[in-house]
Amino acid sequence: MRTLSTLKYLFMALSVMSFATPLLAQGGTTGGFDVVPIAAGFSMAIASGLCALGQGKATAGAAEALARNPGARAGIQLALILGLALIESLALYTFVIIFVKVK
Amino acid sequence: MTAGEPVFQDGEAFYSEALHRISRNMLIVVPLLACAAWWKFGWRVAIGLAAGCSIAYLNFHWLKRVVTALADRATQTQRKQSSAGVVLRFLLRYLLMAFAAYVMIKRWPGSLNGLLAGLFLPVAAVLWEAAHELVFSATRER
Repeated sequence: MRTLSTLKYLFMALSVMSFATPLLAQGGTTGGFDVVPIAAGFSMAIASGLCALGQGKATAGAAEALARNPGARAGIQLALILGLALIESLALYTFVIIFVKVK
Repeated sequence: MTAGEPVFQDGEAFYSEALHRISRNMLIVVPLLACAAWWKFGWRVAIGLAAGCSIAYLNFHWLKRVVTALADRATQTQRKQSSAGVVLRFLLRYLLMAFAAYVMIKRWPGSLNGLLAGLFLPVAAVLWEAAHELVFSATRER
């Protein structure tokens, strides 16, 4: 059963690679398409998704902590605000890097 | 009462004021950065930076309000806001940023770099606050 699962992942990886190879072969100065905007879009999507996961996790943890210990509200609120602001700035870093590279 | 207790209360009061200090740091940093950008890169970048800083300040202020509303709900206090209002404000921040960036690109394309740099104002203010707290804790331990 485990072997079948391993084989399944192996064939999935192989199929992805077989699609990827001709895509990469289409480089060149004339006629080829520019992969930078596609990479930029994927990068931003990954960064946004991961930041959203981080923000969700931070908010869930803070809400749980607040419900358990309302007396510690000031400290939890401060940590949550700073955490959310810094996580958001990570997505902004990605955006700026993409903007600078694509421009 | 132990000898250390008043010191602890001082520390608690100090840390509870952190958000106010961060907001104040932002207001102090904006004119300094805008003047530096004007001197180094010109007025277009300075305007972009000031606009980016304004958006970042508003963004941080709304984030504080959203988190306060969330904390009100989690601790079940009497002061409650509607869920739709909280979510709307959270999403409105992004719309505001996108709109400002669009206006900047259309009106003054050269100022976009300043706008993007200005969006990192909260990071600068938080770093300043971190340095301040480090100094405070170091001087308190002496």
